[in-house]
Amino acid sequence: MKKIKLSNISTVALLLILVAVMFIALACASDVFLTTNNLQNLIRQTAIYGVIAIGMTFVIMSGGIDLSVGSVVGLSGVICAMLMSNASWPIFPAAVAAVLVATLVGVFNGIIIFDGKVPPFIATLGVNTAMRGVIMLITGARMISGLPKAFTSFSRDTFLYIPMLGWVWFIIIAVAIVVIKYTTFGRNNFAVGSNTEAARLSGINIRLTTYGVYTVCAFLSAIAGVLMTARLGNGVPTGGEGYETDAIAAAVLGGASLTGAEGSIIGTVLGSLIMATLRNGGNLLGVNSFVLDIIIGLMIVFAVMLDKKRKK
Amino acid sequence: MKKILVLMLALAMFITPVIASAEATEPYEVVVIIKATTSDFWQYVLVGAQNYAYEYPDRVKLTLDGPPSEADIDQQVTILENHIATQPDAIVISSTSSDATIPALEEAQANGIVVITIDNRLNSDCYDSFLATDNYVGGGLAAEQMVKSWEAAGIDYAAGKVGIVNAMAGVQVLTDREAGFRDKLTELAPGVEILETRFVDNDMTKAISAAEDMVSANADLIGMFGCNNVTGDGVCRVLTEQELGDKIIGVAFDSDPEEIAGLESGALKALVLQDPYGMGYKGVDFAWQKLTGQEIPKEVDTGATIVTIDNFYDDDIQGLLDPMTLKKY
Repeated sequence: MKKIKLSNISTVALLLILVAVMFIALACASDVFLTTNNLQNLIRQTAIYGVIAIGMTFVIMSGGIDLSVGSVVGLSGVICAMLMSNASWPIFPAAVAAVLVATLVGVFNGIIIFDGKVPPFIATLGVNTAMRGVIMLITGARMISGLPKAFTSFSRDTFLYIPMLGWVWFIIIAVAIVVIKYTTFGRNNFAVGSNTEAARLSGINIRLTTYGVYTVCAFLSAIAGVLMTARLGNGVPTGGEGYETDAIAAAVLGGASLTGAEGSIIGTVLGSLIMATLRNGGNLLGVNSFVLDIIIGLMIVFAVMLDKKRKK
Repeated sequence: MKKILVLMLALAMFITPVIASAEATEPYEVVVIIKATTSDFWQYVLVGAQNYAYEYPDRVKLTLDGPPSEADIDQQVTILENHIATQPDAIVISSTSSDATIPALEEAQANGIVVITIDNRLNSDCYDSFLATDNYVGGGLAAEQMVKSWEAAGIDYAAGKVGIVNAMAGVQVLTDREAGFRDKLTELAPGVEILETRFVDNDMTKAISAAEDMVSANADLIGMFGCNNVTGDGVCRVLTEQELGDKIIGVAFDSDPEEIAGLESGALKALVLQDPYGMGYKGVDFAWQKLTGQEIPKEVDTGATIVTIDNFYDDDIQGLLDPMTLKKY
């Protein structure tokens, strides 16, 4: 236990150095990088992915994987938009209802995985496809517009210079850290990820823990879906497509291991930040899009390689 | 697994409404295969095709199909092969890939099936007629309009920068639009610097980020071009949110609710519209003409139209903006 903790701290240290190097390099290369406006943009660009990546971290720590986050993001986004636009619901109830409905997808994932004994990779892959089908069916594959201004301006609003999207992300980060470190659920999650059989023998309820992690992941993805709809200003049926890869990449970059029981919320947050900073910096400097993809891809691989090497 | 599920849904959604009409007149069986069922643009093509079938139930009986996404090239080939096996009289197809569908379409022609291609050019001669927007010309129109809007807004274009947000690399129509835009703008405004193109995986969130970063990195940005509706939406959101519509001239391809709202609010100054409805309608009509022994042209440019706030309210423009309003069935 002590060893894991130590290595976590140094993974975070490694990532912090990486972030610092990137910030210094970009600040030298571009005179707009460190402006308030751009840093606000950077937070906005990271927040939505960042929230999903935290959910993914819970699942990966338990030794599972969730490929359905993209469609959960999309589902909650279009439900929220439809309730506000077609049914004229006020903002808050619409957002809450959308999050609750989309969170049910996570409960469903948990049931298929634990009770149906379907491997998480397959279960969530299937659910992802089915849910995207549901989204297309209920929207007729058309964009939903006519959202209230107060809702869409949420993505531009700031409080104490920090975008509201960032505040939502920060609150979720804080709660997630507390849950992982100080609650039975968080510790059980870790135990299941490190050795399911040992966890079961020591009396941990595997069923509830499994339901729990997939529900948490879907819940956070659903919140991200509402945030995304605010940012897009429309309910977009294809919204969230492919976001699972970014979420997995951020978690893994942050030190999570796909074999479970490793990873930390702070690591994932830094992982998300690194990926978003690379994209933002690439855009600012006008780096060729394809070269940028090559850089991001190789970065993920090298960072994980370096981390593994250091732990040996 | 994924493909089967989506295919089943797609079939359920699109084949159900097409029930055989009266058998007495023996209408021709025409299969319409689009690039993606999950896009407004391709739905408009289907509206055109279905309106034709609704107007002339004695001429054609339609079967509609397509993969869920434009990325599913192999799936579109499978769909095509399955339909050829049922021996329809004609196939109207917008082929996602310029090559992948060629062997199947050659086989179809050899079996006497009339092949009409729409939107995307094939690298072969295995079709009876090809209807499409000349996207290179369309991109050029966008550049011309950008210069006109600069003049109207009193923006000096002796210097300054223009950004391009493109949806995906390696898709011919998008490459043509961008090339047309670049060439025309370089010709009309040689002093303007065109920035490195941002590709955004056809994702609106990424399109917003790219447009946002271009705006913050270039204080002398005077124009932005979105190569399709998703990238147009991204440009539109950023210009709307930061109220930059009069400082940075936004021009985009295609139309969807966000782009239309942007045109009305002034965040976007112009849209370049293709005629997907016309492609579907004329595509099916051409198939029928060919089947009844009439001569049809080998290549047809269905045209691109510039929409600004000045002609926005014209009836024919409204039909182009939202072909769903033309739906008859």
